[in-house]
Amino acid sequence: MNKAPLDDLDRQLIDMLAQDARVSNRKIAADLGVNEGTVRGRIKRLQQDGLLAFTAITSLDLDRDIRIAFIGIQADIENIRDVARQIAAMPIARAVMIVAGQFNIMVTCLFTDLGKFHHFAADRILAMPGVHHIETSIAVSAVKYNSRIVRITEKAALDGEDAD
Amino acid sequence: MNETLSIDEIDRKIIGHLRRNGRSTNQQIAESLDLTAATVSGRIRRMEQSDKLNVVAVSDFAAHGMDVLIQIAVEVDGRASSDVAEELAALPEVFAVFLVTGRHNIDVLLALREYGELPELMIDKLSKVRGVRTMRPSIVLDVIKYQFESGPQVSGGGA
Repeated sequence: MNKAPLDDLDRQLIDMLAQDARVSNRKIAADLGVNEGTVRGRIKRLQQDGLLAFTAITSLDLDRDIRIAFIGIQADIENIRDVARQIAAMPIARAVMIVAGQFNIMVTCLFTDLGKFHHFAADRILAMPGVHHIETSIAVSAVKYNSRIVRITEKAALDGEDAD
Repeated sequence: MNETLSIDEIDRKIIGHLRRNGRSTNQQIAESLDLTAATVSGRIRRMEQSDKLNVVAVSDFAAHGMDVLIQIAVEVDGRASSDVAEELAALPEVFAVFLVTGRHNIDVLLALREYGELPELMIDKLSKVRGVRTMRPSIVLDVIKYQFESGPQVSGGGA
């Protein structure tokens, strides 16, 4: 992670964009007292460094009945990255992390159908070669969570696009 | 703008564009779909106002100086889990708190600047929260996938 350190301007940019992702470069520039080229360049650099990303959420994703559950997995350490990648390829798995602790892999799932979650955990993951033990826990409520701060694992494919 | 809004094929294409790059300009989207910028702008506004679409910026933990992620499975004894969870959530180093079913009762995610913060946090703060019986931490070594932009918009959370 060779990321350039952030300065105050970067942080102000991130704050403004967090409030309105489609605010124009012109407005950002005027508000922050810099020129548009600077804004464009900064946003591009933050995206390239994997520190900032933009995405569209639709009402389909905003299903009120959506549930979160966690799966702790004990698996052979030799192929841990392969196992993690195979799990990550499945859409129900929204976060896949390799961890050091009582488990090797922690998976966070989003689902609406408990049966599908159980099938994923107890049939698919448990049947994978190298996986020995899983523990599931279903989130009943989120007491604290910020969905706007994430780990950006895929850097934006930048093709010179900027909002004007 | 409370009438039921149906999403047509053109809307879907616009959404597809914004999913790839939420900061594509109306003009750029218009050109690639052979529409006018005004049409694109109007459709985006209509979808946003009816809560069908929300273009968001997400930032990486690293952008906030949070380079160390640690997940902790907390077991509670002698106190309501929800009260323990509220008290844990009040700590700034605690990024996320979920009440869960299963072997443990609370799932906590810590986001720290450095490992050096961990001893004081665990020994002097988290362990001192009344009702915390055990904590089983897992150090996050590598994040393979993290797609939460579309996760639940929880109450009590940040944005």
